[in-house]
Amino acid sequence: MLARILMAAALVAASGAAAAQKPAADPAHDKISMCIGCHGVPGYKTAYPVVYHVPKIGGQSATYIANALKAYRSGQRGHPSMRGVAASLSDADIAVLAAYYGGGK
Amino acid sequence: MRRLMIAAAALALAGAAQAAGKAEAGKQKAAQVCAACHGPAGNKPTAPENPILAGQHYDYLVKALQDYKSGKRNNAIMKGFAASLSTREIEDLAAWFASQKSDLHYQR
Repeated sequence: MLARILMAAALVAASGAAAAQKPAADPAHDKISMCIGCHGVPGYKTAYPVVYHVPKIGGQSATYIANALKAYRSGQRGHPSMRGVAASLSDADIAVLAAYYGGGK
Repeated sequence: MRRLMIAAAALALAGAAQAAGKAEAGKQKAAQVCAACHGPAGNKPTAPENPILAGQHYDYLVKALQDYKSGKRNNAIMKGFAASLSTREIEDLAAWFASQKSDLHYQR
């Protein structure tokens, strides 16, 4: 019960934050907030489950990024944080993110 | 000041530990095992499904190959290649690709 309330509160807070800084016409802008905390910080390392640099994804192949997100969403790839993020993404969201980071390739 | 120096020394050590692989040995191995799909330097994949490896982080590349080898990361093609690699070869390959140039970058 408590977990549900907390989750609902977090969702409300997250949607509020996203709505507050809703920008111009870039469809990626709403989505990348989930990515930049790790993939936008030079030298950032994950601390869980083991410590290593989070991969650079800017300039990567868009097809590869889309496949990676779908693999995290289906559970085929297992990083806990990435599974959590990808679970919230629709196919359309994934296409937007792949195009944003994939540099149009 | 003293603390700063200790921190700097620790960072330098961490950097040294990270570069455990030998890039030149990795280059030889890459030509045999990886080049056909990722390009000799890892920056010219032959299909969009294949990621750019050049300029990626050393430790991420090591982890990816270890996970393919163990089956934790499940990819039929990569499992076959990674299964044949020793820990040393994985580190050498990671050192080679991490030291190559590509368009990979941090992006906000």
